[in-house]
Amino acid sequence: MKFRAVGAALTLTGLLLAVAPGMAHHEILAKFDDTKPTTLKGIVTLVDWANPHVHVFMNVSGGKELVNWAIEYESPIDLQKSGWTADSLQPGDAITVQGMAARDGSHQVWSRSTVTSAGKTVLNARAATPPPAPLSPRPTPKAPDGHPRLGSLAGADGYWAYPSATVLVQSGAKVDMDGFGLLKNVADASKVAPMQPWALGLYVNRQRRFLQDDPMYLFCKPPGGPRQFQQPYGLQFVEDRERQRIFVLLGSGNRNYRIIYNDGRGQKGQVEGDDDNPLYYGRAVGKWEGDTFVVSTTGFNEDFWFTNGGIPHTEQLKLTERFTRPDLDTLKYDLTIDDAGAFTKPWSTGWTLRWVAGEELPVHICQDNRP
Amino acid sequence: MGDNNGRRANAPETGPVRSGSPRKGTHVRALTCILTLSLVCLASTAPAIAQEGHPLKGSWIGTWGPSQNHSNDVIIIMNWDGKAITGTINPGSDEIAIKNATLNPEGWIVHLEGDAKDKSGKTITYIIDGKIENLPKKDRTVVGTWKTATENGPFKISRQ
Repeated sequence: MKFRAVGAALTLTGLLLAVAPGMAHHEILAKFDDTKPTTLKGIVTLVDWANPHVHVFMNVSGGKELVNWAIEYESPIDLQKSGWTADSLQPGDAITVQGMAARDGSHQVWSRSTVTSAGKTVLNARAATPPPAPLSPRPTPKAPDGHPRLGSLAGADGYWAYPSATVLVQSGAKVDMDGFGLLKNVADASKVAPMQPWALGLYVNRQRRFLQDDPMYLFCKPPGGPRQFQQPYGLQFVEDRERQRIFVLLGSGNRNYRIIYNDGRGQKGQVEGDDDNPLYYGRAVGKWEGDTFVVSTTGFNEDFWFTNGGIPHTEQLKLTERFTRPDLDTLKYDLTIDDAGAFTKPWSTGWTLRWVAGEELPVHICQDNRP
Repeated sequence: MGDNNGRRANAPETGPVRSGSPRKGTHVRALTCILTLSLVCLASTAPAIAQEGHPLKGSWIGTWGPSQNHSNDVIIIMNWDGKAITGTINPGSDEIAIKNATLNPEGWIVHLEGDAKDKSGKTITYIIDGKIENLPKKDRTVVGTWKTATENGPFKISRQ
């Protein structure tokens, strides 16, 4: 009786943890169907501990034959932060998996709970939480020229993460969606942004397909535009003051980078520099206005989604981003989106990010186009 | 979804095998799993990247004939400037400028028109009506019909 109660408690805990805000790099529902609950009992054959998602392969008795299933989990980073390692499960272990089945009917399951034969829940990821806030705001670090430093102090580690919003919605709009931008009610689509009819139709189509066409998910395409500031594994500014440019490094995606030139150049492409080829990160030029770093970016291509949730854009996209660091631990990001090809008018939004001091940027790579 | 197929190995497991006492079969199965996973993932990259902006923008190749005034093959280039769909049918010496083009997102209905000249120099107005299929895909298609005052036929183009 006591064992059952403990087991039920563990299962409930596992389920609660499993429904915590997603940390994955893509919409889980793009691949798995939450209306297809699945329970599997079998023997582990392989633990594939690699980015972007850990997979456990298990053999399950299916009548006369054994069937091999792939069980998908959060990333190695999230699992390690939750106390798990590549050895937490080993080939030969008997496990019971509860989760949701793949939409395409293949033998894949997203694990909501995995329990060993000894009744131990394993490989459950804790919800990511930002570091505790200091009792009083710490002063904004300044560079020798008096401007705020957007990155680390010399010799110190740190990066920005935990965005206060992981979806793009125009200021003032109240729209219920999950952390990946999937609307709870597709009828709310028109509230998200002032989209032209074709863009709204395409956005709705993407929503109805559970965001499964996201090029970042399917092909590891870079999260250009504001999406780079809403990724689950953060970002880092590397300020090259001598050459007057700032590199934005990502903790996820395909580990690409963006360059913001603040050497006074105009918004015009330069051969062998920021030339006129449409780019995933566009051409970005920035300048300081007081303590605010204002960045203008154009020259985007159309081969990626610039938001979680799949709001369309065109090559006419122009972003005006305003970065401020009101204290050491806070980055304020304000954005105006102007794209006459996709929207009926410019629109704005914004959010904040938290400083993670003393840590290096996590390495989470959608390598080899692994989903 | 192209990436959702497989990623599994079907080698039967005959009994518990601990990683601390590896057997040859375990290595083979592990290798099979990894190879299968890699191949499926690589296969998922086979489709070219999508063009994620306006669904009609780009180059299209297909068929619309033959007729007494054009061959069976058709090439169409379309663009979107934020207000109008513009473009060209069969770019070259006999190209036809697209006019009155519309895209209705309710059903993704496409309408294109263009004026050409026949061999006697008389104006022929082409009217193409179709529907976008496989909207999310880079190689989406427009399937429908074309017609002039005297001819008509099926029309199908695929985005390149």
